[in-house]
Amino acid sequence: MAIAPAVHRPAPRGGAEAGRPLLEVRGLTKRFDGGRVVLDGVDLVARRGEVTAILGPNGSGKSTLLRCTVRLVEPSAGTVWIDGEELTALSDRRLQEARRAIAMVFQSAHLVRRRTALANAASGALGSLGGLAVACGRLPREALELGHRNLVRVGVEHVARQRAETLSGGQAQRVAIARALSQRPRVLLADEPVASLDPDATEEVMVLLRSLAADEGMAVVCVLHQPELARWHADRIVGLRAGRIVVDAPATEVDDAALTRLYRGHASSG
Amino acid sequence: MSLAALPQHGGGELPRPRRDRRELAGNAAGAAILVLVLVQALHVTRFQPTEIVAGVGGIYDILRRGTPPDLTDLQPALGAALETFDVALLGTFLAMVVSVPLGLLAAENTTPNRAAYLASRSLIGICRAVPDIVWALLFVTAVGLGPFPGTLGLGVHSVGILGRLYAECIEDMDMGPVHVLRVGGAGRMQVATHAVLPGVLPSLLGLTLYRFDTNLRATIALGFVGGGGLGLQIFTTLNLFEYQRLTTLLLVMLVLILIVEGLAVLLRRRIR
Repeated sequence: MAIAPAVHRPAPRGGAEAGRPLLEVRGLTKRFDGGRVVLDGVDLVARRGEVTAILGPNGSGKSTLLRCTVRLVEPSAGTVWIDGEELTALSDRRLQEARRAIAMVFQSAHLVRRRTALANAASGALGSLGGLAVACGRLPREALELGHRNLVRVGVEHVARQRAETLSGGQAQRVAIARALSQRPRVLLADEPVASLDPDATEEVMVLLRSLAADEGMAVVCVLHQPELARWHADRIVGLRAGRIVVDAPATEVDDAALTRLYRGHASSG
Repeated sequence: MSLAALPQHGGGELPRPRRDRRELAGNAAGAAILVLVLVQALHVTRFQPTEIVAGVGGIYDILRRGTPPDLTDLQPALGAALETFDVALLGTFLAMVVSVPLGLLAAENTTPNRAAYLASRSLIGICRAVPDIVWALLFVTAVGLGPFPGTLGLGVHSVGILGRLYAECIEDMDMGPVHVLRVGGAGRMQVATHAVLPGVLPSLLGLTLYRFDTNLRATIALGFVGGGGLGLQIFTTLNLFEYQRLTTLLLVMLVLILIVEGLAVLLRRRIR
Protein backbone atom coordinates (compact mmCIF):
# COMPACT_ATOMS: atom_id res chain seq x y z
CA MET A 1 0.00 0.00 0.00
CA ALA A 2 1.75 3.16 -1.18
CA ILE A 3 1.71 6.25 0.93
CA ALA A 4 0.57 9.27 -1.04
CA PRO A 5 2.68 12.36 -1.35
CA ALA A 6 1.92 15.11 1.09
CA VAL A 7 -0.88 17.36 -0.13
CA HIS A 8 -1.81 20.87 0.74
CA ARG A 9 -4.43 20.91 3.49
CA PRO A 10 -6.29 24.17 4.01
CA ALA A 11 -5.82 25.37 7.55
CA PRO A 12 -9.02 25.21 9.61
CA ARG A 13 -10.60 28.56 10.36
CA GLY A 14 -12.31 29.48 13.56
CA GLY A 15 -9.47 30.67 15.77
CA ALA A 16 -9.79 29.36 19.29
CA GLU A 17 -12.86 27.36 18.26
CA ALA A 18 -10.82 25.23 15.84
CA GLY A 19 -10.38 21.69 17.12
CA ARG A 20 -13.30 21.94 19.56
CA PRO A 21 -15.13 18.59 19.79
CA LEU A 22 -18.51 18.83 18.01
CA LEU A 23 -19.39 15.15 17.98
CA GLU A 24 -18.57 12.81 20.82
CA VAL A 25 -19.54 9.16 20.80
CA ARG A 26 -18.99 7.21 24.02
CA GLY A 27 -19.29 3.43 24.41
CA LEU A 28 -21.69 3.08 21.48
CA THR A 29 -22.97 -0.48 21.19
CA LYS A 30 -25.42 -1.96 18.73
CA ARG A 31 -26.75 -5.45 19.20
CA PHE A 32 -29.20 -6.68 16.57
CA ASP A 33 -31.94 -9.24 17.15
CA GLY A 34 -30.33 -12.62 17.65
CA GLY A 35 -27.57 -11.11 19.74
CA ARG A 36 -25.20 -10.22 16.88
CA VAL A 37 -23.01 -7.36 18.10
CA VAL A 38 -22.21 -4.90 15.29
CA LEU A 39 -20.75 -2.11 17.43
CA ASP A 40 -19.01 -2.90 20.67
CA GLY A 41 -18.29 0.10 22.88
CA VAL A 42 -17.14 2.51 20.18
CA ASP A 43 -15.64 5.88 21.20
CA LEU A 44 -15.23 8.63 18.63
CA VAL A 45 -14.53 12.34 18.74
CA ALA A 46 -14.92 14.61 15.68
CA ARG A 47 -13.58 18.14 15.98
CA ARG A 48 -14.48 21.43 14.39
CA GLY A 49 -12.60 22.05 11.16
CA GLU A 50 -11.36 18.48 10.88
CA VAL A 51 -12.08 15.54 8.61
CA THR A 52 -12.22 12.18 10.38
CA ALA A 53 -12.08 9.16 8.08
CA ILE A 54 -13.52 5.85 9.24
CA LEU A 55 -11.92 2.83 7.64
CA GLY A 56 -12.47 -0.87 8.08
CA PRO A 57 -13.28 -4.08 6.25
CA ASN A 58 -16.80 -4.89 5.05
CA GLY A 59 -19.16 -5.64 7.90
CA SER A 60 -16.98 -3.92 10.50
CA GLY A 61 -19.84 -1.61 11.54
CA LYS A 62 -18.82 1.65 9.82
CA SER A 63 -22.22 2.49 8.33
CA THR A 64 -24.05 1.28 11.46
CA LEU A 65 -21.86 3.65 13.49
CA LEU A 66 -23.05 6.65 11.43
CA ARG A 67 -26.68 5.50 11.51
CA CYS A 68 -26.56 4.98 15.27
CA THR A 69 -24.94 8.38 15.69
CA VAL A 70 -28.02 10.12 14.26
CA ARG A 71 -30.38 7.47 15.68
CA LEU A 72 -31.59 6.35 12.28
CA VAL A 73 -30.78 3.04 13.94
CA GLU A 74 -31.31 3.10 17.71
CA PRO A 75 -28.11 2.15 19.58
CA SER A 76 -28.35 -0.56 22.26
CA ALA A 77 -26.04 1.32 24.65
CA GLY A 78 -23.72 4.31 24.77
CA THR A 79 -24.13 8.05 24.34
CA VAL A 80 -23.84 10.51 21.46
CA TRP A 81 -23.21 14.20 22.12
CA ILE A 82 -23.58 16.90 19.48
CA ASP A 83 -21.95 20.16 20.50
CA GLY A 84 -22.67 19.49 24.17
CA GLU A 85 -26.23 18.11 23.75
CA GLU A 86 -26.81 14.42 24.42
CA LEU A 87 -28.66 13.10 21.38
CA THR A 88 -29.27 9.67 22.87
CA ALA A 89 -31.32 11.12 25.75
CA LEU A 90 -33.78 13.11 23.63
CA SER A 91 -37.45 12.45 22.98
CA ASP A 92 -38.55 12.10 19.34
CA ARG A 93 -39.63 15.75 19.12
CA ARG A 94 -36.42 17.11 20.66
CA LEU A 95 -34.41 14.69 18.51
CA GLN A 96 -35.99 16.17 15.38
CA GLU A 97 -34.79 19.64 16.44
CA ALA A 98 -31.34 18.45 17.50
CA ARG A 99 -30.80 16.59 14.24
CA ARG A 100 -30.70 19.90 12.38
CA ALA A 101 -27.10 20.18 13.56
CA ILE A 102 -26.15 16.99 11.71
CA ALA A 103 -26.33 16.44 7.98
CA MET A 104 -25.78 13.13 6.29
CA VAL A 105 -24.55 12.23 2.82
CA PHE A 106 -24.90 8.66 1.63
CA GLN A 107 -23.18 6.52 -1.01
CA SER A 108 -26.17 7.07 -3.24
CA ALA A 109 -27.12 10.74 -3.50
CA HIS A 110 -30.73 9.91 -2.53
CA LEU A 111 -32.18 12.85 -4.42
CA VAL A 112 -35.88 13.06 -5.21
CA ARG A 113 -35.54 12.07 -8.86
CA ARG A 114 -38.42 14.09 -10.28
CA ARG A 115 -37.48 17.34 -8.57
CA THR A 116 -34.90 19.78 -9.83
CA ALA A 117 -31.39 19.95 -8.44
CA LEU A 118 -32.32 23.33 -6.94
CA ALA A 119 -35.41 21.97 -5.14
CA ASN A 120 -33.35 19.05 -3.84
CA ALA A 121 -30.61 21.37 -2.61
CA ALA A 122 -33.15 23.69 -0.97
CA SER A 123 -34.95 20.82 0.77
CA GLY A 124 -32.04 20.57 3.21
CA ALA A 125 -33.40 23.72 4.88
CA LEU A 126 -36.77 22.10 5.68
CA GLY A 127 -35.83 21.38 9.28
CA SER A 128 -35.67 25.10 10.06
CA LEU A 129 -38.79 26.05 8.08
CA GLY A 130 -42.39 26.03 9.22
CA GLY A 131 -45.81 27.03 7.95
CA LEU A 132 -48.66 25.52 6.02
CA ALA A 133 -47.21 26.26 2.56
CA VAL A 134 -44.00 24.37 3.38
CA ALA A 135 -46.02 21.49 4.87
CA CYS A 136 -47.99 21.37 1.60
CA GLY A 137 -44.85 20.92 -0.47
CA ARG A 138 -43.81 24.49 -1.35
CA LEU A 139 -40.28 25.78 -0.87
CA PRO A 140 -40.06 29.45 0.14
CA ARG A 141 -37.88 31.91 -1.74
CA GLU A 142 -35.24 32.10 1.03
CA ALA A 143 -34.81 28.31 0.97
CA LEU A 144 -34.43 28.34 -2.82
CA GLU A 145 -31.88 31.16 -2.59
CA LEU A 146 -29.94 29.23 0.04
CA GLY A 147 -30.12 26.11 -2.13
CA HIS A 148 -28.80 28.05 -5.10
CA ARG A 149 -25.93 29.53 -3.07
CA ASN A 150 -24.97 26.04 -2.00
CA LEU A 151 -25.15 24.71 -5.57
CA VAL A 152 -22.72 27.52 -6.44
CA ARG A 153 -20.61 26.53 -3.41
CA VAL A 154 -20.26 22.94 -4.67
CA GLY A 155 -19.84 24.01 -8.31
CA VAL A 156 -22.99 22.64 -9.94
CA GLU A 157 -25.17 25.76 -10.24
CA HIS A 158 -25.41 25.11 -14.00
CA VAL A 159 -27.64 22.07 -13.35
CA ALA A 160 -29.97 23.91 -10.95
CA ARG A 161 -33.02 23.62 -13.23
CA GLN A 162 -32.35 20.03 -14.31
CA ARG A 163 -34.30 17.15 -12.84
CA ALA A 164 -32.22 15.07 -10.44
CA GLU A 165 -32.74 11.95 -12.55
CA THR A 166 -30.76 13.53 -15.41
CA LEU A 167 -27.61 14.25 -13.36
CA SER A 168 -24.37 12.28 -13.50
CA GLY A 169 -23.18 10.46 -10.37
CA GLY A 170 -20.68 13.19 -9.49
CA GLN A 171 -23.21 15.98 -10.07
CA ALA A 172 -25.84 14.17 -8.01
CA GLN A 173 -23.41 13.70 -5.10
CA ARG A 174 -22.53 17.38 -5.21
CA VAL A 175 -26.22 18.30 -5.13
CA ALA A 176 -26.57 15.97 -2.13
CA ILE A 177 -23.74 17.85 -0.43
CA ALA A 178 -25.42 21.17 -1.32
CA ARG A 179 -28.61 19.84 0.29
CA ALA A 180 -26.61 18.94 3.39
CA LEU A 181 -25.13 22.47 3.46
CA SER A 182 -28.61 24.03 3.23
CA GLN A 183 -29.22 22.44 6.60
CA ARG A 184 -26.40 24.65 8.00
CA PRO A 185 -25.05 21.69 9.98
CA ARG A 186 -22.22 21.67 12.48
CA VAL A 187 -21.45 18.01 11.79
CA LEU A 188 -21.45 16.35 8.37
CA LEU A 189 -21.57 12.56 8.25
CA ALA A 190 -20.69 11.04 4.90
CA ASP A 191 -21.28 7.30 4.40
CA GLU A 192 -19.05 6.16 1.53
CA PRO A 193 -19.80 9.32 -0.48
CA VAL A 194 -17.36 8.43 -3.26
CA ALA A 195 -17.95 4.68 -3.51
CA SER A 196 -19.78 4.92 -6.82
CA LEU A 197 -17.80 7.77 -8.39
CA ASP A 198 -15.03 7.78 -10.97
CA PRO A 199 -11.52 8.92 -9.89
CA ASP A 200 -11.96 12.54 -10.99
CA ALA A 201 -15.34 12.93 -9.28
CA THR A 202 -13.95 11.15 -6.22
CA GLU A 203 -11.12 13.65 -5.95
CA GLU A 204 -13.48 16.60 -6.44
CA VAL A 205 -15.89 15.42 -3.75
CA MET A 206 -13.10 14.70 -1.26
CA VAL A 207 -11.52 18.11 -1.85
CA LEU A 208 -14.96 19.64 -1.36
CA LEU A 209 -15.50 17.82 1.96
CA ARG A 210 -12.02 18.85 3.05
CA SER A 211 -12.72 22.50 2.26
CA LEU A 212 -16.11 22.40 4.02
CA ALA A 213 -14.39 21.36 7.20
CA ALA A 214 -11.73 24.03 6.82
CA ASP A 215 -13.87 26.91 5.52
CA GLU A 216 -17.19 26.32 7.24
CA GLY A 217 -15.74 24.97 10.48
CA MET A 218 -17.71 21.74 10.34
CA ALA A 219 -16.70 18.43 11.80
CA VAL A 220 -16.73 16.01 8.85
CA VAL A 221 -16.87 12.27 9.51
CA CYS A 222 -16.45 10.23 6.37
CA VAL A 223 -16.67 6.45 5.91
CA LEU A 224 -14.23 5.42 3.18
CA HIS A 225 -13.06 2.23 1.58
CA GLN A 226 -9.84 3.64 0.15
CA PRO A 227 -7.07 4.10 2.75
CA GLU A 228 -5.15 6.31 0.29
CA LEU A 229 -8.01 8.80 0.17
CA ALA A 230 -8.18 8.81 3.96
CA ARG A 231 -4.49 9.57 4.24
CA TRP A 232 -4.66 12.29 1.61
CA HIS A 233 -7.74 14.09 2.81
CA ALA A 234 -8.43 13.26 6.46
CA ASP A 235 -6.93 14.78 9.58
CA ARG A 236 -7.65 11.72 11.65
CA ILE A 237 -8.19 8.06 10.80
CA VAL A 238 -10.36 5.78 12.88
CA GLY A 239 -10.16 2.07 12.05
CA LEU A 240 -13.07 -0.19 12.89
CA ARG A 241 -12.81 -3.95 12.92
CA ALA A 242 -15.59 -6.31 14.07
CA GLY A 243 -17.36 -3.41 15.75
CA ARG A 244 -14.34 -2.22 17.74
CA ILE A 245 -11.94 0.67 17.28
CA VAL A 246 -8.50 -0.73 16.48
CA VAL A 247 -6.93 2.43 15.03
CA ASP A 248 -7.46 6.04 16.15
CA ALA A 249 -4.65 8.37 15.23
CA PRO A 250 -3.76 11.44 13.16
CA ALA A 251 -3.74 10.52 9.46
CA THR A 252 -0.02 11.27 9.20
CA GLU A 253 0.73 8.67 11.87
CA VAL A 254 -1.23 5.79 10.36
CA ASP A 255 1.29 3.64 8.52
CA ASP A 256 0.97 0.61 6.27
CA ALA A 257 1.42 -1.80 9.16
CA ALA A 258 -1.53 -0.27 11.01
CA LEU A 259 -3.69 -0.53 7.90
CA THR A 260 -2.66 -4.14 7.39
CA ARG A 261 -3.64 -4.92 10.98
CA LEU A 262 -6.95 -3.18 10.37
CA TYR A 263 -7.83 -5.07 7.21
CA ARG A 264 -6.20 -8.44 7.85
CA GLY A 265 -6.60 -8.63 11.61
CA HIS A 266 -2.92 -9.26 12.41
CA ALA A 267 0.42 -7.52 12.17
CA SER A 268 2.19 -7.55 8.84
CA SER A 269 5.41 -9.45 8.61
CA GLY A 270 7.17 -6.42 7.22
CA MET B 1 -15.21 -35.28 -3.62
CA SER B 2 -13.77 -36.91 -6.72
CA LEU B 3 -15.97 -38.36 -9.46
CA ALA B 4 -14.74 -41.86 -8.64
CA ALA B 5 -16.10 -41.48 -5.15
CA LEU B 6 -19.66 -40.94 -6.40
CA PRO B 7 -21.88 -44.05 -6.07
CA GLN B 8 -22.32 -45.90 -9.35
CA HIS B 9 -25.98 -46.59 -10.08
CA GLY B 10 -27.68 -48.20 -13.07
CA GLY B 11 -25.08 -47.71 -15.77
CA GLY B 12 -23.55 -44.58 -14.29
CA GLU B 13 -26.80 -42.56 -13.98
CA LEU B 14 -27.13 -40.58 -10.76
CA PRO B 15 -30.24 -41.40 -8.70
CA ARG B 16 -32.96 -38.76 -8.89
CA PRO B 17 -32.74 -36.72 -5.66
CA ARG B 18 -35.53 -37.43 -3.21
CA ARG B 19 -36.42 -33.75 -3.08
CA ASP B 20 -37.19 -33.72 -6.85
CA ARG B 21 -39.66 -36.59 -6.42
CA ARG B 22 -41.35 -34.82 -3.54
CA GLU B 23 -41.57 -31.63 -5.59
CA LEU B 24 -43.04 -33.55 -8.55
CA ALA B 25 -45.65 -35.18 -6.31
CA GLY B 26 -46.52 -31.79 -4.84
CA ASN B 27 -46.93 -30.23 -8.28
CA ALA B 28 -49.12 -33.15 -9.43
CA ALA B 29 -51.33 -32.82 -6.34
CA GLY B 30 -51.59 -29.05 -6.93
CA ALA B 31 -52.60 -29.57 -10.56
CA ALA B 32 -55.21 -32.18 -9.55
CA ILE B 33 -56.74 -29.79 -7.00
CA LEU B 34 -56.86 -26.99 -9.59
CA VAL B 35 -58.66 -29.28 -12.07
CA LEU B 36 -61.19 -30.29 -9.39
CA VAL B 37 -61.88 -26.65 -8.48
CA LEU B 38 -62.37 -25.73 -12.15
CA VAL B 39 -64.73 -28.68 -12.70
CA GLN B 40 -66.89 -27.63 -9.74
CA ALA B 41 -66.92 -24.05 -11.10
CA LEU B 42 -68.15 -25.33 -14.51
CA HIS B 43 -70.86 -27.32 -12.74
CA VAL B 44 -72.02 -24.49 -10.47
CA THR B 45 -72.14 -21.94 -13.30
CA ARG B 46 -73.88 -24.47 -15.58
CA PHE B 47 -71.28 -23.70 -18.20
CA GLN B 48 -72.57 -25.13 -21.49
CA PRO B 49 -71.02 -23.60 -24.63
CA THR B 50 -73.46 -25.55 -26.83
CA GLU B 51 -76.25 -23.33 -25.57
CA ILE B 52 -74.53 -20.30 -27.09
CA VAL B 53 -74.62 -21.98 -30.50
CA ALA B 54 -78.25 -22.94 -30.02
CA GLY B 55 -79.19 -19.43 -28.92
CA VAL B 56 -77.22 -17.50 -31.54
CA GLY B 57 -80.49 -16.76 -33.29
CA GLY B 58 -81.66 -14.74 -30.28
CA ILE B 59 -78.48 -12.64 -30.30
CA TYR B 60 -78.89 -12.05 -34.03
CA ASP B 61 -82.51 -11.00 -33.47
CA ILE B 62 -81.51 -8.40 -30.84
CA LEU B 63 -78.77 -7.04 -33.10
CA ARG B 64 -81.18 -6.82 -36.02
CA ARG B 65 -83.78 -5.00 -33.94
CA GLY B 66 -81.08 -2.63 -32.62
CA THR B 67 -80.01 -1.42 -36.05
CA PRO B 68 -79.90 1.18 -37.33
CA PRO B 69 -79.33 3.18 -34.12
CA ASP B 70 -81.98 5.77 -33.30
CA LEU B 71 -80.00 9.01 -33.53
CA THR B 72 -82.99 11.22 -32.74
CA ASP B 73 -82.20 10.56 -29.09
CA LEU B 74 -78.54 11.51 -29.41
CA GLN B 75 -78.77 14.71 -27.40
CA PRO B 76 -80.19 13.11 -24.21
CA ALA B 77 -77.64 10.32 -24.65
CA LEU B 78 -74.83 12.88 -24.71
CA GLY B 79 -76.25 14.52 -21.59
CA ALA B 80 -76.33 11.13 -19.86
CA ALA B 81 -72.74 10.48 -21.01
CA LEU B 82 -71.61 13.76 -19.42
CA GLU B 83 -73.37 12.75 -16.21
CA THR B 84 -71.65 9.36 -16.26
CA PHE B 85 -68.27 11.04 -16.87
CA ASP B 86 -68.87 13.50 -14.02
CA VAL B 87 -69.95 10.80 -11.55
CA ALA B 88 -66.78 8.81 -12.29
CA LEU B 89 -64.59 11.94 -12.22
CA LEU B 90 -65.93 13.29 -8.94
CA GLY B 91 -66.03 9.87 -7.28
CA THR B 92 -62.41 9.21 -8.25
CA PHE B 93 -61.29 12.70 -7.23
CA LEU B 94 -62.92 12.44 -3.80
CA ALA B 95 -61.36 9.01 -3.33
CA MET B 96 -57.93 10.36 -4.32
CA VAL B 97 -58.14 13.25 -1.85
CA VAL B 98 -59.01 10.88 1.00
CA SER B 99 -56.67 8.08 -0.08
CA VAL B 100 -53.43 10.10 -0.15
CA PRO B 101 -53.31 10.76 3.62
CA LEU B 102 -54.86 7.36 4.28
CA GLY B 103 -52.19 5.66 2.15
CA LEU B 104 -49.44 7.48 4.08
CA LEU B 105 -50.92 6.28 7.37
CA ALA B 106 -51.42 2.75 6.05
CA ALA B 107 -47.89 2.30 4.68
CA GLU B 108 -45.54 0.60 7.14
CA ASN B 109 -42.64 2.88 6.27
CA THR B 110 -44.47 6.19 6.72
CA THR B 111 -47.10 5.51 9.38
CA PRO B 112 -46.49 7.44 12.61
CA ASN B 113 -47.46 4.56 14.90
CA ARG B 114 -49.11 1.14 15.10
CA ALA B 115 -52.53 2.50 16.10
CA ALA B 116 -52.69 4.81 13.04
CA TYR B 117 -51.57 1.92 10.83
CA LEU B 118 -54.25 -0.45 12.11
CA ALA B 119 -57.00 2.18 12.05
CA SER B 120 -56.23 3.25 8.47
CA ARG B 121 -55.88 -0.35 7.24
CA SER B 122 -59.23 -1.21 8.86
CA LEU B 123 -60.97 1.76 7.27
CA ILE B 124 -59.53 0.87 3.86
CA GLY B 125 -60.62 -2.74 4.35
CA ILE B 126 -64.21 -1.75 5.17
CA CYS B 127 -64.46 0.60 2.17
CA ARG B 128 -63.14 -2.12 -0.13
CA ALA B 129 -65.14 -5.02 1.30
CA VAL B 130 -68.52 -3.41 0.52
CA PRO B 131 -69.07 -3.22 -3.29
CA ASP B 132 -69.67 0.21 -4.85
CA ILE B 133 -73.18 -0.78 -5.89
CA VAL B 134 -74.08 -1.57 -2.25
CA TRP B 135 -72.56 1.71 -1.06
CA ALA B 136 -74.61 3.50 -3.75
CA LEU B 137 -77.82 1.78 -2.58
CA LEU B 138 -77.06 2.85 0.99
CA PHE B 139 -76.57 6.44 -0.14
CA VAL B 140 -79.77 6.28 -2.26
CA THR B 141 -81.68 5.60 0.96
CA ALA B 142 -80.02 8.63 2.51
CA VAL B 143 -80.08 11.22 -0.29
CA GLY B 144 -82.51 9.78 -2.86
CA LEU B 145 -82.07 8.74 -6.50
CA GLY B 146 -79.72 10.46 -8.94
CA PRO B 147 -76.03 10.87 -9.67
CA PHE B 148 -75.14 12.11 -6.16
CA PRO B 149 -75.51 8.74 -4.35
CA GLY B 150 -73.68 7.09 -7.26
CA THR B 151 -70.78 9.52 -6.84
CA LEU B 152 -70.63 8.85 -3.10
CA GLY B 153 -70.83 5.09 -3.57
CA LEU B 154 -68.04 5.09 -6.14
CA GLY B 155 -65.95 7.43 -4.00
CA VAL B 156 -66.19 5.36 -0.82
CA HIS B 157 -65.44 2.05 -2.54
CA SER B 158 -62.57 3.66 -4.47
CA VAL B 159 -61.04 4.82 -1.15
CA GLY B 160 -60.76 1.12 -0.30
CA ILE B 161 -59.02 0.37 -3.58
CA LEU B 162 -56.82 3.46 -3.95
CA GLY B 163 -55.93 3.62 -0.24
CA ARG B 164 -54.50 0.13 -0.40
CA LEU B 165 -52.74 0.63 -3.74
CA TYR B 166 -51.25 3.95 -2.60
CA ALA B 167 -50.01 2.35 0.64
CA GLU B 168 -48.36 -0.52 -1.25
CA CYS B 169 -46.79 1.93 -3.70
CA ILE B 170 -45.38 4.00 -0.81
CA GLU B 171 -44.05 0.87 0.89
CA ASP B 172 -42.11 0.01 -2.27
CA MET B 173 -40.53 3.45 -2.70
CA ASP B 174 -36.84 4.34 -2.33
CA MET B 175 -36.54 5.47 1.30
CA GLY B 176 -33.18 7.19 0.79
CA PRO B 177 -34.55 10.76 0.33
CA VAL B 178 -36.86 10.17 3.30
CA HIS B 179 -33.97 9.18 5.58
CA VAL B 180 -31.94 12.18 4.43
CA LEU B 181 -34.71 14.66 5.28
CA ARG B 182 -35.49 12.93 8.59
CA VAL B 183 -31.84 13.11 9.60
CA GLY B 184 -31.93 16.79 8.61
CA GLY B 185 -34.69 17.48 11.16
CA ALA B 186 -37.62 17.80 8.76
CA GLY B 187 -41.07 17.10 10.26
CA ARG B 188 -43.27 14.16 9.33
CA MET B 189 -45.56 16.27 7.14
CA GLN B 190 -42.60 17.94 5.42
CA VAL B 191 -41.03 14.56 4.71
CA ALA B 192 -44.34 13.34 3.26
CA THR B 193 -44.81 16.32 0.95
CA HIS B 194 -41.17 16.92 -0.03
CA ALA B 195 -39.81 13.37 -0.33
CA VAL B 196 -42.54 10.70 -0.25
CA LEU B 197 -45.19 12.20 -2.53
CA PRO B 198 -42.83 13.65 -5.18
CA GLY B 199 -41.15 10.24 -5.30
CA VAL B 200 -44.32 8.24 -5.87
CA LEU B 201 -46.41 10.84 -7.71
CA PRO B 202 -46.26 9.25 -11.19
CA SER B 203 -47.27 5.87 -9.76
CA LEU B 204 -50.11 7.39 -7.72
CA LEU B 205 -51.44 9.29 -10.72
CA GLY B 206 -51.17 6.18 -12.90
CA LEU B 207 -53.17 4.19 -10.33
CA THR B 208 -55.74 6.99 -10.09
CA LEU B 209 -56.20 7.12 -13.86
CA TYR B 210 -56.65 3.37 -13.94
CA ARG B 211 -59.24 3.65 -11.16
CA PHE B 212 -61.03 6.43 -13.07
CA ASP B 213 -61.21 4.17 -16.08
CA THR B 214 -62.67 1.36 -13.93
CA ASN B 215 -65.10 3.77 -12.23
CA LEU B 216 -66.36 4.99 -15.60
CA ARG B 217 -67.51 1.45 -16.45
CA ALA B 218 -68.80 0.90 -12.90
CA THR B 219 -70.95 4.02 -13.23
CA ILE B 220 -72.99 2.26 -15.93
CA ALA B 221 -73.88 -0.50 -13.45
CA LEU B 222 -74.66 2.08 -10.76
CA GLY B 223 -77.20 3.65 -13.12
CA PHE B 224 -79.15 0.39 -12.93
CA VAL B 225 -79.80 1.00 -9.21
CA GLY B 226 -80.75 4.65 -9.59
CA GLY B 227 -77.30 6.21 -9.88
CA GLY B 228 -78.22 8.20 -13.01
CA GLY B 229 -76.21 8.65 -16.23
CA LEU B 230 -75.95 6.26 -19.16
CA GLY B 231 -76.64 3.26 -16.92
CA LEU B 232 -80.10 4.50 -16.02
CA GLN B 233 -80.88 5.20 -19.71
CA ILE B 234 -79.65 1.76 -20.78
CA PHE B 235 -81.71 0.13 -18.04
CA THR B 236 -84.83 2.03 -19.16
CA THR B 237 -84.43 1.24 -22.87
CA LEU B 238 -83.86 -2.45 -22.06
CA ASN B 239 -87.06 -2.54 -20.03
CA LEU B 240 -88.99 -0.83 -22.85
CA PHE B 241 -87.40 -3.08 -25.55
CA GLU B 242 -86.17 0.07 -27.39
CA TYR B 243 -83.17 -1.64 -28.95
CA GLN B 244 -82.40 1.11 -31.49
CA ARG B 245 -82.12 3.65 -28.66
CA LEU B 246 -80.05 1.08 -26.77
CA THR B 247 -77.59 0.89 -29.70
CA THR B 248 -77.23 4.67 -29.67
CA LEU B 249 -76.50 4.63 -25.94
CA LEU B 250 -73.96 1.81 -26.32
CA LEU B 251 -72.20 3.69 -29.13
CA VAL B 252 -72.04 6.86 -27.04
CA MET B 253 -70.63 4.82 -24.14
CA LEU B 254 -68.01 3.28 -26.45
CA VAL B 255 -66.94 6.72 -27.71
CA LEU B 256 -66.78 8.05 -24.14
CA ILE B 257 -64.56 5.17 -23.01
CA LEU B 258 -62.26 5.60 -26.03
CA ILE B 259 -61.93 9.36 -25.37
CA VAL B 260 -61.13 8.75 -21.70
CA GLU B 261 -58.55 6.09 -22.59
CA GLY B 262 -56.91 8.50 -25.03
CA LEU B 263 -56.79 11.23 -22.40
CA ALA B 264 -55.33 8.80 -19.86
CA VAL B 265 -52.53 7.84 -22.27
CA LEU B 266 -51.72 11.54 -22.85
CA LEU B 267 -51.72 12.30 -19.11
CA ARG B 268 -49.50 9.30 -18.30
CA ARG B 269 -46.96 10.55 -20.84
CA ARG B 270 -46.95 14.00 -19.28
CA ILE B 271 -46.50 12.90 -15.68
CA ARG B 272 -43.54 10.59 -16.25
